[in-house]
Amino acid sequence: MIRIAAIGDVHLSKDTGGRFRPALRTLDEHADALLLAGDLTRHGTVEEAKVVAAEFGSLSVPVVAVLGNHDYHSNRSAEVTEVLADAGISVLEGQSAIVPVDGRKVGIAGVKGFGGGFAGKCASAFGEPEIKAFVEHTEVAAAKLRGALEAMDCDVRIALTHYSPVSDTLRGEPPEIYPFLGCYQLGEAIDSCDTALAIHGHAHYGTEQGFTPGGVRVRNVAHPIIRAAYAIYCIE
Amino acid sequence: MTGDHSTGAPQYQVAAVRRALAEDERTAEQGIKVTVRGDTILLSGDVECARRRDEIAEVVHEVVPAMRIYNDIKVTEAGEPTGREEFR
Repeated sequence: MIRIAAIGDVHLSKDTGGRFRPALRTLDEHADALLLAGDLTRHGTVEEAKVVAAEFGSLSVPVVAVLGNHDYHSNRSAEVTEVLADAGISVLEGQSAIVPVDGRKVGIAGVKGFGGGFAGKCASAFGEPEIKAFVEHTEVAAAKLRGALEAMDCDVRIALTHYSPVSDTLRGEPPEIYPFLGCYQLGEAIDSCDTALAIHGHAHYGTEQGFTPGGVRVRNVAHPIIRAAYAIYCIE
Repeated sequence: MTGDHSTGAPQYQVAAVRRALAEDERTAEQGIKVTVRGDTILLSGDVECARRRDEIAEVVHEVVPAMRIYNDIKVTEAGEPTGREEFR
């Protein structure tokens, strides 16, 4: 049994440092790895990244993260990534991490992702340069995820994103903002690669459970959804 | 985004408040529900600490100073999970 803990949208800054740490002390009794699904900080500053590093660094299990839109807000994503990496947290943006569990290799491919919308109700790369740039960012993110998923030599594949790969887990959010919460291209990448589980955050009013069109389980682990320090998903 | 939005169509009041909550560096919150009923504004959703809940009310008050604020925002629990999901 592979036990994956996951949490997103913790929005840490110095006023909330230490909130999660008590519950994380016993993490290795419950999980083999912890995935962080982005929006780890509030404004994406280096100071806030240090709070995240103190909160989720030096844990008893491997920690693998992607950044979210908040983590880009101050244009310091490279430094934020470095601070987290120095604390032993693997930050993925088109890369992967392999975690050995009971003789099996669990591969985690991660990317922030982006909006764009879902099948039939999505943005197209047409018209002004601004909308073309928006859609290009979506497509580049999905291509990075697909590339990372395909390249992994592992027994179990997990996709980790901040933006949602499906609309299922957005139920509860206003439908008008779905195009800002995720895109179908991430789901398409996940479905192309025999993925066992997809984890995302970003949608505070969505729902926890969903499926991709190809039948892959999707879980929205935004903190206001799971209402605990982390959720646990077990894969046989 | 500056100015008093206490009067005007409720749709524009909601838009002004939601944008202020996201774009004001004191709050940077995109996950707060804003509902207008007459001269009352209802805030709901989840934040990470009580101080942020109060900061949100401060920013909303600056945008719609003449409106009554119901601040029903909750602080999200961060304890150990009580269960786990097993995929079979």
